Amino acid sequence: MTTTVRPVAEQERDECGSVGVMHDLPVIELVHPLPGFPEHRRFALVQLDDDGFLCDLRSLEDPDLRFLVASPVPFFPDYAPEVGDDVVAELEIEDASDVLVLLVLTAGASLAESTANLRAPVLVNTTTRRATQVILDDSTLSVAVPLAS
Amino acid sequence: MLVLSRRAGESVVVGDEVTVTILEVRGDVVRVGIDAPRSVSVHRAELLAELATSNQGAASPPQEAVATLAEALRRRKD
Repeated sequence: MTTTVRPVAEQERDECGSVGVMHDLPVIELVHPLPGFPEHRRFALVQLDDDGFLCDLRSLEDPDLRFLVASPVPFFPDYAPEVGDDVVAELEIEDASDVLVLLVLTAGASLAESTANLRAPVLVNTTTRRATQVILDDSTLSVAVPLAS
Repeated sequence: MLVLSRRAGESVVVGDEVTVTILEVRGDVVRVGIDAPRSVSVHRAELLAELATSNQGAASPPQEAVATLAEALRRRKD
């Protein structure tokens, strides 16, 4: 049994803003730490641009640590990750529309040199503020897909 | 580290809920079946390592790179 987490296009224009990231989601809690960062569990999600395309995932435990994340919708409109029941249970997901899908970006000098991690999106339950970086069971997805293709 | 010799079809039980079974040995490839509860995540070690490396490369990008990306996004939309 899997659940498809499809970002809704209408909500995308201000994906981060539409769920009130700045005001309503000051703190999200990772149920598992990000691979490579075992010590960091609590992050703030902060909108970076007017459109809400870009957000910052800022560590509350280490002021120097942050990740650039983005909605997949403007870049990969067909992206709809499927997750297993284990993830649904861990994030306490009751409705797929409560889930914010974020891609971790590796910023390069230009859009073409920047990549998104499609293999392992960060899913946030906007209701419970529980989040995790899910490794999708789809070997066709790469951890570094160019943003501009 | 516990080191065991197993034949195809034989298993190792880890804790109360995880069973690792050797399915097939062919040349230098061993097929392994892992029976674990949903709450136990099972991943290839090299995929986790790749993800850790990717996350480390993504962490704390320079402010200029973020500004450039935001600007490129804004231009793309126009």
